[in-house]
Amino acid sequence: MMNVLTGKKTGVVYSATQRIIRVLLFILLLFFAAVTIFPVLYVVFGSFKENSELLIGGSNIFPSKWIIENYIEAWNQANFAVYTRNSVMLSLGVMFISLFNATMAGYVFSRKKFWGKEAIYMLFVAFMFINVGSVSLRPLYELAIKLKINKSLWAVVIFSAGGGQAMYIFLVRGFVSSIPRELDEAAKIDGCSFFQIYYRIIVPMLKPVMATIAILSFRQGWNEYILPMVFTMTNDKLRPLTVGVNMLKNAGDGTAAWNIMFAGATISVVPIILVFCFFSRFFMSGMTAGAVKG
Amino acid sequence: MKEHNGISATLMLTPAVFFLAVCSIYPFIWIFRYICYDYNGFRAVYTGTRNFSRMLSDATFWASVMHTFEYAFYKLIFILPLALVVAVLLNQRLRGSAFFRGVYFMPTVISTAISGMIFTFIFATGNGILNALLKNLGIIVKPIGWLTTQSVVMAAVTILAVWGGFGNYMLYFITGMTSIPEDVYESAKIDGASGVQTFFRITLPMLSPVLKVVLLLAITSAFKDYEAIMVLTNGGPGNRSMVMFLYIYKLIFGTQAGTQAQIGYGALLSLMAAVIVGSVTGIYLLVSKKLDDVV
Repeated sequence: MMNVLTGKKTGVVYSATQRIIRVLLFILLLFFAAVTIFPVLYVVFGSFKENSELLIGGSNIFPSKWIIENYIEAWNQANFAVYTRNSVMLSLGVMFISLFNATMAGYVFSRKKFWGKEAIYMLFVAFMFINVGSVSLRPLYELAIKLKINKSLWAVVIFSAGGGQAMYIFLVRGFVSSIPRELDEAAKIDGCSFFQIYYRIIVPMLKPVMATIAILSFRQGWNEYILPMVFTMTNDKLRPLTVGVNMLKNAGDGTAAWNIMFAGATISVVPIILVFCFFSRFFMSGMTAGAVKG
Repeated sequence: MKEHNGISATLMLTPAVFFLAVCSIYPFIWIFRYICYDYNGFRAVYTGTRNFSRMLSDATFWASVMHTFEYAFYKLIFILPLALVVAVLLNQRLRGSAFFRGVYFMPTVISTAISGMIFTFIFATGNGILNALLKNLGIIVKPIGWLTTQSVVMAAVTILAVWGGFGNYMLYFITGMTSIPEDVYESAKIDGASGVQTFFRITLPMLSPVLKVVLLLAITSAFKDYEAIMVLTNGGPGNRSMVMFLYIYKLIFGTQAGTQAQIGYGALLSLMAAVIVGSVTGIYLLVSKKLDDVV
């Protein structure tokens, strides 16, 4: 099984035809990989082109003259410093709230017996599937205005974390259920309360799940688009990168500012790809645990 | 002690229940409140069944429903076979499988809003790189208006959807394949089965439970997609790529030029959309169950 996951060779000997087929398949995979990675490389290299070169177009992916000015302009004049800060705060906010919330709720769902537990849990499951799409943003938007939290990023953080919580709670609940109850019992005999068992026993054991949740919720916050767009329609200072970059596109002078948009898209895409490069296994384990098993 | 633990358990569950109530249940109930109203965000006027009769005769809405089905069909018909083939190939332990898997999965970590934007650059008619490449290869003479021509815009939307999503499905299939025991393949090899035979006789049948779940996920998520389309085409040209959730978004927030928000009507349409998605899911579950009984 590990061989399949890691792609390590197992010392099998292949015939000549098999070897040719394998080389052809390898080339096919290489071609797919090139197509997959092309849009990202295109925008990253494009962000070093002069705007005139971008507006003329052409099939050359590399800049004919490398310049860094696009980034300086984006950072200083197009507010990208603010957008980046907002994106970081949004992602970290969603991440920390998701971590605290999901580990506690998942632990309670797994370990505590109480009246109505199944009913509440079913509600979580049901609302994961009931989908009314974009319309649910309107009541949240009006609620935020009523509570006067629409002028800060907190509203976006809270609604994002709240909207994505179900999957993380399921992940934790499943994992806690696989931890032997004897551990809890032993800790209880030693005088630990319900909450002490949580942070002394359970949380240390939850580290792999917490890493997955941290990564997935960070990505969720970083990539959030329509939610922050709705909340920052009149407030440029609160926009994260996703919204800020796209606002440039929708602005009338969109065609003129391709260089800024390329730089902005790169600033938005590269950090999350770097995170992915270092922690890819958490991304992937989270995907499959959340979807196939859950 | 016992009571004390009950209180801490309640406190620990409070944030999650609070989020569920505020972010999921409250918006859902809120929708019902306005379906019979004309509500622009400031004033709500009761209009009885007028929203409903408007929905029945709203050609744009029903066209957007058809576009949603069309989009889901194109997306699934390309993304699932591609993901399955790639997953099978990666399962052959070729050199660099882990690297390839990472590369294929990468688009799924990028915001759909940003990838939508990157593809508007790529698909641009005059200075887009796709037209330039096709021209260099001699495939086209005149640049194609990928995002401005009604007949090809769905192709552009589909390309973006396949690019952005196939890594997910590949991963589901790979995970599913790890549960197929190795010795099944060994014995097939001994019996002299070719690669293609192995795929159709062993991999596909043994993957069918996973395939069923993945198909369900793929269908429901394809019906929900609208963020990338919003950025790429904004439903245009001439509403040709308008999917139902995008249309509803525009009604609810009044982002179409010169229009006010029509929240009551949008709320009714979103209920209708939820019913449509629910019915499709239900029909799928029914059919796949029937197939189980037959096969």
